[in-house]
Amino acid sequence: MWLTAVYYDGRQARPHPVTLCVEGDKLLLQGRDIVRREELNGLKIPPPLGSTPRLILFADGGRCEVADRQGFAEMLQDAGNSAVAGMENSWWYALAALLLTLSLLAVVYLFGLPYAARVVADRVPVYLLERMDNQFFASLDQTLLMPSKLAEERRHTLQDGLRRLVLPPGEDRPAHIEFRGSPTLGANAFALPGGSVLVLDDLVNLASNDQEILAVLAHEMGHVHEKHALRQMLQASVVGLAMAWYIGDVSSLLAVAPTVLLETRYSRDFERRADAFAAELLRGNGIPVSRLADILEKLEAAHQTAAPKQLAESVEALDYLSSHPNTEERIKRLRGL
Amino acid sequence: MTEYQARQLQFSGSGGEYFRIWIVNVCLSIVTLGVYSAWAKVKRNQYFYRHTTLAGASFDYHGDPKAILKGRVVAFLLFACYTLVGKFDQVAGSAILLVIIVAMPWLLMRSLRFRLHNTSYRGLRFAFHGSTGAAYFNFLLLPVLSALTLGLLWPLAQQRMARYTRENSTYGSEFFKFFAGSGAYYRIYFMTIFIGVLVFAGLMASVMLLGSKELIPVEADQLVAMSVLVASIGTYLALFLLAYPYVAARLQNLIWNNTQLGPHGFQAQLRAREMLGIMFGNVLLTLLTLGLYKPFADIRLARYRIEHVTLLTRGSIDDFVAGLQTNSSAAGDEMAEMFDFDIAL
Ligand SMILES: [Zn+2]
Repeated sequence: MWLTAVYYDGRQARPHPVTLCVEGDKLLLQGRDIVRREELNGLKIPPPLGSTPRLILFADGGRCEVADRQGFAEMLQDAGNSAVAGMENSWWYALAALLLTLSLLAVVYLFGLPYAARVVADRVPVYLLERMDNQFFASLDQTLLMPSKLAEERRHTLQDGLRRLVLPPGEDRPAHIEFRGSPTLGANAFALPGGSVLVLDDLVNLASNDQEILAVLAHEMGHVHEKHALRQMLQASVVGLAMAWYIGDVSSLLAVAPTVLLETRYSRDFERRADAFAAELLRGNGIPVSRLADILEKLEAAHQTAAPKQLAESVEALDYLSSHPNTEERIKRLRGL
Repeated sequence: MTEYQARQLQFSGSGGEYFRIWIVNVCLSIVTLGVYSAWAKVKRNQYFYRHTTLAGASFDYHGDPKAILKGRVVAFLLFACYTLVGKFDQVAGSAILLVIIVAMPWLLMRSLRFRLHNTSYRGLRFAFHGSTGAAYFNFLLLPVLSALTLGLLWPLAQQRMARYTRENSTYGSEFFKFFAGSGAYYRIYFMTIFIGVLVFAGLMASVMLLGSKELIPVEADQLVAMSVLVASIGTYLALFLLAYPYVAARLQNLIWNNTQLGPHGFQAQLRAREMLGIMFGNVLLTLLTLGLYKPFADIRLARYRIEHVTLLTRGSIDDFVAGLQTNSSAAGDEMAEMFDFDIAL
């Protein structure tokens, strides 16, 4: 059996029309001014790739291009063929690969990523985390945040109230609170990655009594306890990176939008857990769990009139206590406890 | 003197065929935690190169997956370092970024070397011989100078970069030649600015006209401010949506039309309007299909770009001979890809 091909000697761009045939374990190449007889073992035959021409590469840089892929496969008994090349040719394998890819991505997103984020979060040294908090305040103190206008005694009362809380076993670090004012963010509180809790003046003014504020602080301590802010940040960076990499050449701007959508699922889960932590802590200190529900209702009402939602969400990866669509559901659950 | 003979570059890849290769690549890359992605990159390049034919022969890609994997690991570690450190310490993050920016010209040079060295046609390799010093002059000093002069030197910088990449490239032993002067670059940008000014003036005049005839409800004393505002927004949108593809297409054409290889010339006829249509459609369909259209989009864009370039041969193209080989590692190429700086080849 003979096969027509084009041969290039690797030294000049001149094409040589040749014929190929296999004799035992040797390949015979014959053209008008060229004859080569080579051991099949010494040749490199790349696996087929779609409908691209088949190739034979010689050790000295010579090269054969064969357009007749069918004839090539018959003559060389599928030399150079690989399992992957077979998969690439079949729509069934493509479908299977698509399903496998989607399910793997789902598993990674639902289980792998949260697990990895928790493992990493537990290993980040405390001094690094404190540095992150300092940096957070350094970058926002001139823009979004202003010095607190609360009276000195008021802040001391709240800090004392927090210090007197009986912490659940295993939690030995009392929360470190920072008071700030912010007209743009309104009534809110945030748990930062390093474990500081940021309380805004409007929240303190909104509360009817100190127990409500303690309830909010207990909720934020729940976030701190499980390192939610840090985990959220790690997860969001990985998802963001993957998105940017994937959509990369389309537009880096578009890559941000889906990340925001994917992040909300995590934060809902975190809210639920922080609420559960707060409920346990409040119960252990003889404070009714309904105090948290009360203040959540007030926050919801306050934010519905002011609606600085986008601003609150633009503050990176932190707890937006009341700007969630599921606040009503949370209030209902807390009332039921 | 012999006549030029036009030989169009052909692209025979198809979306459906490439989709199957792409999805298997993606799947295996995930299963192997990213290790296979180096082999996937080689396959992707081989698919596009081997489907590109000129005068009956196809191009080929020879990148070594193991070298690419090594480059990817280095680039990934640096990138992860940069993103993570930046979260904890802005000063250290900025320092890493500065180091990367300073290394960029060298990385771009290495990247060009790797890409061209691993590209072949008719059994002969391409190569890149640009020096490190010239890379720093063209890729760092000139852009910095053009930033300092508020962009006045940018067209000149672009011309020098194109000249550096072209005139240091070889096919076999033959160097490419580049003839475009900076004047041609300035003309393209002047044209763009001129159109921008026309759009601005036109919009402003029409708002003034409509306002003075009281067809739009504006107070007389606010009319000028209003027309400036509308004209600014309109001009900004027009430049943002249309100027970029216009300049990109014109520059590509300019570069190819002024490139020669031995006695042979090139001709490119990309059209901004068609490029814009393809890019816009690609983004839209890729988003609507949650990314599944991506391989089809890649094929569509490659076909347009490849098939609008023609080689104008004068005499035989059989006489090229092999040249000296440059050695190359993949780190520069992977780093350039990871940090997304690219040069239009
Ligand atoms: Zn919360």
